[in-house]
Amino acid sequence: MITFAQYLRKSATYKIFSTLSKELMHFTLTIGQIAQMGIRMTERIFRDGIDIKELFAQCERFGISSLPITLSIVGMTSIIVSSQVANEMVKQGGSGLIGMLMTILTVREVGVIMSGFALISMIGSSLASELATMRVTEQIDAIDVLGVDSVGYLFTPRVLSGIFMMPIVVIIASVFGVILGGVASNIFSGLSYRAYFTSVWLGLYMKDLWVCISKAAVFGGTIALISCTFGYFAKGGAKGVGLATTKAVVWSFISIVIWDMIFAMLFFF
Amino acid sequence: MSIEVKNLVKRFEDKVIINDISFKVNDGEILAIVGFSGSGKSTVLKLISGLIPYDEGEIITSEGDIAMVFQYSALFDSLNVFDNISFALRERKDLRKLYTHEQLQKIVAQKLELVGLQGIENKFPSELSGGMQKRVSFARAIVTQPNTILYDEPTAGLDPMSSTLIEDYIVQLKHEINAASIVVTHQMSTITRTADRVIMLYDGKIVFEGSPDELLRQDNPYTKQFVTASLEGPMQMKA
Repeated sequence: MITFAQYLRKSATYKIFSTLSKELMHFTLTIGQIAQMGIRMTERIFRDGIDIKELFAQCERFGISSLPITLSIVGMTSIIVSSQVANEMVKQGGSGLIGMLMTILTVREVGVIMSGFALISMIGSSLASELATMRVTEQIDAIDVLGVDSVGYLFTPRVLSGIFMMPIVVIIASVFGVILGGVASNIFSGLSYRAYFTSVWLGLYMKDLWVCISKAAVFGGTIALISCTFGYFAKGGAKGVGLATTKAVVWSFISIVIWDMIFAMLFFF
Repeated sequence: MSIEVKNLVKRFEDKVIINDISFKVNDGEILAIVGFSGSGKSTVLKLISGLIPYDEGEIITSEGDIAMVFQYSALFDSLNVFDNISFALRERKDLRKLYTHEQLQKIVAQKLELVGLQGIENKFPSELSGGMQKRVSFARAIVTQPNTILYDEPTAGLDPMSSTLIEDYIVQLKHEINAASIVVTHQMSTITRTADRVIMLYDGKIVFEGSPDELLRQDNPYTKQFVTASLEGPMQMKA
């Protein structure tokens, strides 16, 4: 005869709630882990300072090496959007506003979010796999045993380079996106460059630029922090490296979309 | 006394990995920790080095640095040999401003000479053989003049000649820097050629403690099974 507790444990409802509670627990622990690493890193910055040489090396990686792919993605997105919008705007007599529309769209959303996606796929995944490989080959243990703080050594230059470089990447990519939007509008709708670029400034305010730069800095820091955290806590061999990289990419994607929503609610509602 | 371990206990979730073990290692002494895979040997090193926290007991070490030579060398693959060996001197908060680049070059050259690898400062770990990587990791470990050196299976995966070379370096380092050393191994040649004393772990407990000669005498059912590599005996391999 089975007891009520045993019966309950076998029920589908119990299994569903049990799985959900485990996932929720795991989710909460992961957020805690990311926050903990962020706090530890900040503490190390104030205690030990910053290795400028390593910071520049990571800035080069975050900014310069990621620029071609970021420009390609933002540029192509601008071409796609303008090719679809410009024709309709011209037909409806709004050709004088195409530049404004493309600029608002690019500066407020497309430039920063597409750059974020590009940086996650290129830099975030590389940071996660780099640290995960170091973890599974005991290189991080070696750093700690040698008396060097591994969080400060590995996280600080990477996360700071994300915070400093992503705004620069986003500004360059946004300017590139707006220019390509003009070129695409000219090719697909016959809109003159003069008409396009005259309206570029119409809907652009300083607030848009500051929000764009702040958002980019937050995105860059978040991508680097999440990627480093998943890499740092990787377990197992090659499978562990792959799992850490996948988790870093997924969490980074979700995080920047959530941040984007928070920024939109804070500044544009 | 350089390392004293008292009633050490380590659990992973509900499983007891290290179960109330105690031992001492003196300066200039080499202790070998032996046992079958999964007996908790490497965990003891990680506990002593502070890489993982212990649940109960006490680890007392003398003032000074603890160095560790990892099973697969754990050299930083993005750094060359010079940067690997000088890493602690360049990056440690208490040491990084003490040495000029010229002094670092001199120190690295000395350490490389000690392990018989002069002139490879600009090579990357991927350009070195397994034995050479291991010797570079020795040089990196001793760069801060530690008073405790931990070796995690230092001869695993090496050919017999490279193993002999590594074993000689372990003994040489003992004399050079008079450090207390712990060697985790299950290779008989490493035990007999390097160790002053041996402890055997099984199921997280010490089941034998004595000299290498006593280990080889096989007076104890555990040592007998270990030395003869028999499947019959008190130690059972776990699935």
